Amino acid sequence: MRAIHLANYFVAGCIAFSLLGWVASLHLIACRAIAFLTAAAFTVWGLCWLLDFSVSSLLKISVSSLQAFLLALLAAGALGAGVFLCS
Amino acid sequence: MQLKMFVLSGAAVALWLVPLTALDKRIGWHKSMQGLTLCAAIACAVTAGNLAREQAEQNEIEEIKARAINADVVDEIATSAYISQQQRQQEAEQILNPVEALERALALPDADVERSLEPEIKQLAENGQNGSENFESERAERALQLKAKGWGKAKIILEVWGVSKGGSPKYKAAEAEYRRLTETG
Repeated sequence: MRAIHLANYFVAGCIAFSLLGWVASLHLIACRAIAFLTAAAFTVWGLCWLLDFSVSSLLKISVSSLQAFLLALLAAGALGAGVFLCS
Repeated sequence: MQLKMFVLSGAAVALWLVPLTALDKRIGWHKSMQGLTLCAAIACAVTAGNLAREQAEQNEIEEIKARAINADVVDEIATSAYISQQQRQQEAEQILNPVEALERALALPDADVERSLEPEIKQLAENGQNGSENFESERAERALQLKAKGWGKAKIILEVWGVSKGGSPKYKAAEAEYRRLTETG
């Protein structure tokens, strides 16, 4: 049941990234805004990956949990964007 | 609950993939439908995830309850086993003690009980007889020692039997026993 719970949230993340792609496809300004947001999010992701011990103590979670969350976020983004771009 | 969760999960995936692949992005209302279905898909996935999380928490609580009940049962069994062992040990000790056995036999004049406790009673009787014989021999020995020291009869009876000289039945009995012991000794 816990796996289903996590899988549903993962699917929700994937769909959210597809929705971001759909929003980006609406207008050029939206596309640029989404691109900027994506770049900023990727930068934050990289910083979190590098400063995992500090961030984990700040969020009061274990390092392995933080790394799992970051990897799941990256996979969801790649999958959601990939599905939208390939459709 | 589980059926609802699975339906919502399937609906989320279907609402995510089907409109993106089946509808044309160049047509205006198709694009709008894609946006709507993506929003609906997110809602379905989040709702299904929340249901699964609640179910998982309930399962954890049930598991904790089951573990607590199992621990209580095991503790109760262990306690009862310990108590019954103590009771058996106490009963065994009481049975092995001959005085207790005699008291029980006297308190419970059941024929079966008396028959079962017959060896212990015999042993007790023999012990009592031996004890009185030992006591008598000690008296005789003490009386002979005092007599050898030159003590008089009245003084020896007073020392050994604790009876002063006179015509009392106790003194007469002690005097008779003194005579018997000194003559036999």
